[in-house]
Amino acid sequence: MIKRFLLVSALLCALGMLAFAPVQAEGETLSVAWPYQVPPTGHFNTFASGGITLGQYMDLHEPPLAVLMWATGEYAGMVAEEFGWDDDGNYVIKVAEGYSWSDGSHITADDVMATFNIFRLRGDAVWANMTGIEKVDDYTVKFHMSAPSSLAERIILTTNLRPASVFGDIADRAAMMSPDDDGWNDLLQELTEFRPESPVSGGPYTILPDTITEASLMLELNPGGFAGDIQNYDMVQMWNGETEVVTPLVANAELHYITHGIPPTTEEDFANRGIDIVRSGMNNGPGLYVNHDVYPLNMVEVRQAIAYAIDRIQNGFVSLGESGVAVEYMTGMSDGLSEAWLSDDTLDMLNTYDHDLMKAEELLMSAGFSRDDMGNWMDDNGDALAFELTFPQEYADWSAAAENATAQLNDFGFDITARGVQFQQHPQDIYSSNFEMAIRNWGLGDPIPGRSYLQAYNRYNGQGEVAGEGAGAGMNFDNNVSYSGGMINVFDVSNASSQGTDAMEQASLVSQLAISYNELLPAIPLWERYTNNALNRNFIMVPDSSDSVFANFGGGADNWMTYLILTGVTAPADM
Amino acid sequence: MAGSPMLEALVSLPLDLLRGLVRFVRRLSANKPGFVGFLGLLLYFFVTFIMPNFVEFDNEPKLDQITGPIGSRIQLAVHRDNPQWDSLEALAGKTVGVVDQTGGPSFIEPWRDTLTVETYRWTSRRQGPGIHAALTDLANKEIDGLLIFSKTVNQAIVKQEDAELRQLFQDNIIISNPALGYPHLLGTDTQGRDIASHMVHGGQILILTALIGGVIATLIALFFGSLSALAGGLLDKFFTALANLFLAIPQFILLVVLAGMIRFDSTLYLGVIIGLLIWPALLRAIRAQVLSLRERDFVEAARSLGLSMNHIIFREILPNMSSYVLINLIFSITIAMYFQIGLVVLGLAPISDYTWGVMIYFGRSRGTLYNQDGATMALAPVLAIALFQVCLVLFARAVEEVFDPRLRSAG
Amino acid sequence: MAHHQQQSRAHLTLSDRLYDIASNVYNNYTARVFLIAIITIWAVMTFTFALVRLMPGNPLDVLIEQILTAEGVSYQEAYDRVAASFNIDSDATTLDQYFQWLGDLLRLDLGTSITSPGTKVIDEIARFLPWTVFAVGTGLLISFVLGIFAGMPMAYYRGSKLDHILSFFSSFSTGVPNYIWGLLIIIVPGIAWRWFDIGALRGTYDAGLTPGLNAEFILSALEHAALPVFTYVIAILGTWMLSMKSSTTGVLNEDYVNVAEARGLKERTVISSYVGRNAALPLFTQLTISIGFVLSSGVVVEEIFVYWGIGHHLFQSITVRDYTSLQGVVLLLTAAIVFSNLFADLTYGLLDPRVRVSGEK
Repeated sequence: MIKRFLLVSALLCALGMLAFAPVQAEGETLSVAWPYQVPPTGHFNTFASGGITLGQYMDLHEPPLAVLMWATGEYAGMVAEEFGWDDDGNYVIKVAEGYSWSDGSHITADDVMATFNIFRLRGDAVWANMTGIEKVDDYTVKFHMSAPSSLAERIILTTNLRPASVFGDIADRAAMMSPDDDGWNDLLQELTEFRPESPVSGGPYTILPDTITEASLMLELNPGGFAGDIQNYDMVQMWNGETEVVTPLVANAELHYITHGIPPTTEEDFANRGIDIVRSGMNNGPGLYVNHDVYPLNMVEVRQAIAYAIDRIQNGFVSLGESGVAVEYMTGMSDGLSEAWLSDDTLDMLNTYDHDLMKAEELLMSAGFSRDDMGNWMDDNGDALAFELTFPQEYADWSAAAENATAQLNDFGFDITARGVQFQQHPQDIYSSNFEMAIRNWGLGDPIPGRSYLQAYNRYNGQGEVAGEGAGAGMNFDNNVSYSGGMINVFDVSNASSQGTDAMEQASLVSQLAISYNELLPAIPLWERYTNNALNRNFIMVPDSSDSVFANFGGGADNWMTYLILTGVTAPADM
Repeated sequence: MAGSPMLEALVSLPLDLLRGLVRFVRRLSANKPGFVGFLGLLLYFFVTFIMPNFVEFDNEPKLDQITGPIGSRIQLAVHRDNPQWDSLEALAGKTVGVVDQTGGPSFIEPWRDTLTVETYRWTSRRQGPGIHAALTDLANKEIDGLLIFSKTVNQAIVKQEDAELRQLFQDNIIISNPALGYPHLLGTDTQGRDIASHMVHGGQILILTALIGGVIATLIALFFGSLSALAGGLLDKFFTALANLFLAIPQFILLVVLAGMIRFDSTLYLGVIIGLLIWPALLRAIRAQVLSLRERDFVEAARSLGLSMNHIIFREILPNMSSYVLINLIFSITIAMYFQIGLVVLGLAPISDYTWGVMIYFGRSRGTLYNQDGATMALAPVLAIALFQVCLVLFARAVEEVFDPRLRSAG
Repeated sequence: MAHHQQQSRAHLTLSDRLYDIASNVYNNYTARVFLIAIITIWAVMTFTFALVRLMPGNPLDVLIEQILTAEGVSYQEAYDRVAASFNIDSDATTLDQYFQWLGDLLRLDLGTSITSPGTKVIDEIARFLPWTVFAVGTGLLISFVLGIFAGMPMAYYRGSKLDHILSFFSSFSTGVPNYIWGLLIIIVPGIAWRWFDIGALRGTYDAGLTPGLNAEFILSALEHAALPVFTYVIAILGTWMLSMKSSTTGVLNEDYVNVAEARGLKERTVISSYVGRNAALPLFTQLTISIGFVLSSGVVVEEIFVYWGIGHHLFQSITVRDYTSLQGVVLLLTAAIVFSNLFADLTYGLLDPRVRVSGEK
């Protein structure tokens, strides 16, 4: 038995030794992370669900037409060399010449045609205002639009280009059909079940299929692809996994940059290890939603009192540390968007609802509410202000926000019970009006201001219409509002504000939205979520955090890191 | 009246119980580890059932104390020229600074009459003016003292990234009293609240629920497991199939569905549902034990003597597997404790009961394990549960020996 | 039981004949338990089929929420995109789907994944299952063997120092859940002491190797499995030790042990053939049972070490509400549980001739 024990120990030791063997990567490798599914679940059809798309890093593989610089509002051309509206209100783009896909074919107008024809087959929103697409010459494509709009421009330009050599066949067949045709659904099914044998890249790096494991995958330099000639790396290693899984790799310096939202505690540990934390505004964050069918939450005074009673600075800080930045202007947009789109006069006019328990007290008193002997509030019917506040349990920052908001409101004399709900159940509860108070997101990671209101006025308010199931009225807010500026339908105005290309006209609509939101507070924004990307500058050289490129937080498009890679700026730190 | 049997019973019953208890404890003390286990359980009872009456649950977020390390506390900082000001009494009549939303304001509350309080607005931990403004004022003698959390001292003075500020602080500021506030024995959590106070308050419900759940599961398993093994035939098939059914249905999915329909806010219900969900594996184990015991010589002998089924079960089989059942009961209790975390995750159990389970869940999901200072938030409750199991195991073997004389001689 | 035999066999109708066949099957022990096993599996699957559809959110909702969170598009955009990329036959009722699925199942076809249309469920299972079987199986075996050998002396030398130390170790180590062990193993030796490169040990084997019987692959597979296996062992070893100790304690009390000792049998013989064997028997059943449901109990460990097996796949399928993949995995787990129990029952009689499970009256 002792012999056997020794044998087993020896084996274990040998295993241990193997584990110590250092792994040497050849050449310069950029180490980043994004969660993906491994084959056979994961695959290389980037149009179908389950595809290995790698989030914003898809830009390295399937390059975007252009990138919006958030600080200036200008588009920087990528694969699209020239782009803009023509005199007829159509959008024209010209693809840069001289780049090729990793399978050898050239990047041309055909690829644009293929990409957008498949969007049409899929029913993507980009075709909502598009009547057709036309190949002008080998490198130029014209998009025929029913109405020009800055939104349509954005959707076209942020598109990742796919190779016609892979998808051209299906795209061509789709172009010749209309959705009413018999074969349309079969073709759609063919598209979703289509499995390209190997990934084809038009960007600076190509996925190496043999290297895909659940741990990581490698992308190899694609010298002929877009920006392939200006790269400072030979390889990109893409680690797989969500926050908890990638955190040890960052701490261990095996992984040098992550965009995952990390808890403040982890952030502190990273900072102690000399890892830089990069913060960019994300134009969204958690807000306190109320069900407007629940009395007295439908009273504007009550919502305003809640806004006064919650210290948003504290709430943001305990939830997400320095990346939980209290919302100041309370317009339903981020403060950054408010400052960019609203005039100084308008900004001055806005109520910032600074933490003020006296004001909250006055507001409730004015509504005829009173405190009982214990100091707890009762409404004018004598009922306690007792509500249940639900939140998605799995979201570490939102759950902290909910816990803290509950404590603050209860200190003020409310009687709130916080309850975590499984994160997939929670939005469904809101859609079907099955809640009293809830933590959900306000705003949208998008530079077009009107789109920030989609959450409050559309997603959480009667989205049943969208889903076509009559799923419910959500927060039951009447989108026809009357405020100091008159009567408007806020949803219509928010839609209108992203149409057209006249910035002045858009700004005036946006200020209507901002002021009405600020007065009525359909939902109470708590804080704006800033990114807390961990960037190990001992390994990666990028500009200083003060650079304006960091305004591009990038929620799938316009990410600053991929922009810096595509422009050849990102480099190994020891170069 | 004095001779009334009722009264006599009333008097003698507690006395008898007490006497029995004393005898029990005396026997226990003969077995050292068992006695340690017993004392441990007493300690658990004291901490989780008695102490909550005396220790207040710390529910006040303190922004500069986020994930403070073990033993961290509020300190008094003064200018280097005035080291004699080492307490708030010594500072009577002077100006003392506190930063809004930290532990300072509530700490200084009792002294507000004797000294002037200067409150600084909180803005940000690392670069914001809040704490830095206060420290700068102290360095420039604008204020005479400052209440500041020990971890913040380290960050704001020692680890200060701004070289100029670091110089100013280090040249002018000293800590005159490093032990002003009470120490956070287990550090502070992600909201700067005292973990030790949460530990005191978080055990009661968890332990009660787990006891209920564990006992119910064991009773179900014991009853139906023995029944099924002894009766055999269709009954056996039925219970085995039922246990398999319960084992095979993915509980996570079942709970997700249940979470959408019902909520368990009562400790009793929670315990019952846990008991109802964890019995099947135990049933199979107990059935196997009984199957094995059933055929052993002493049972055979009892059977051939024509002794009743009751006698066989309660006199022959149960005593011989009591050790096995007891250890499985303990495992069930621990399983029930961790099971509650799962229920918290799914929203089936409320987070308003800030139990050890909630602490483990939030501690892990808020990344405290990756931070040396903050790891106690998740590790303290894990340790508490593990040591609770150790106490139970040690205690259980002592109990075994008290009731089974054969073991004592063997030991 | 035997009343049907009293029927007159002269007028055999079809139904009588069927009844005869059925009762013959029923009376054949092996056939009977298999029949019960199949019925159990069917019941679980039917229940699961309904259950997964009762979960909040369907595959569409889940993907919509994912796109909304990750890319910040409007609800409408997300909805349009998702609706097109799935091909769920929305006209079919749940009942239709059920019979469709059951029919396919009878032809041994588990269907295709919903969230990765065109990917066969069986291919996914084949990709993930072997690794769980390997890692969990190894962990279970190591801990079982160690537990048996450590548990016996604990009962023998009851009250000794050895007993105290092992009791403490075993009751403490099982009191800490396996995912905390896993995280601690990564954090302390991994990050703090830098004993190994965490990333390099992830996955099931190094990229570029060909799975098969070659030394490189086997070594790589062992290396990658080391941490998860170690975690499983440390988290369950104590259970076996304590169970074995209790079981041995029970056996030690029995008369025949004393008789054997009195007969002057060597202590070694008594330990191994009398006590060890009798005490380990019920545990062996427990081991067989464990095999079934332990397959899915390592979900978090598989996530933490990025050692993706069937537990990960189950969790992933639940997260994205991939009904067909989910049903495939649950079917597999159910079959594993039911048949391992069956196996336990059938082998128990062989291991311990005194137990005649099959011989009930």
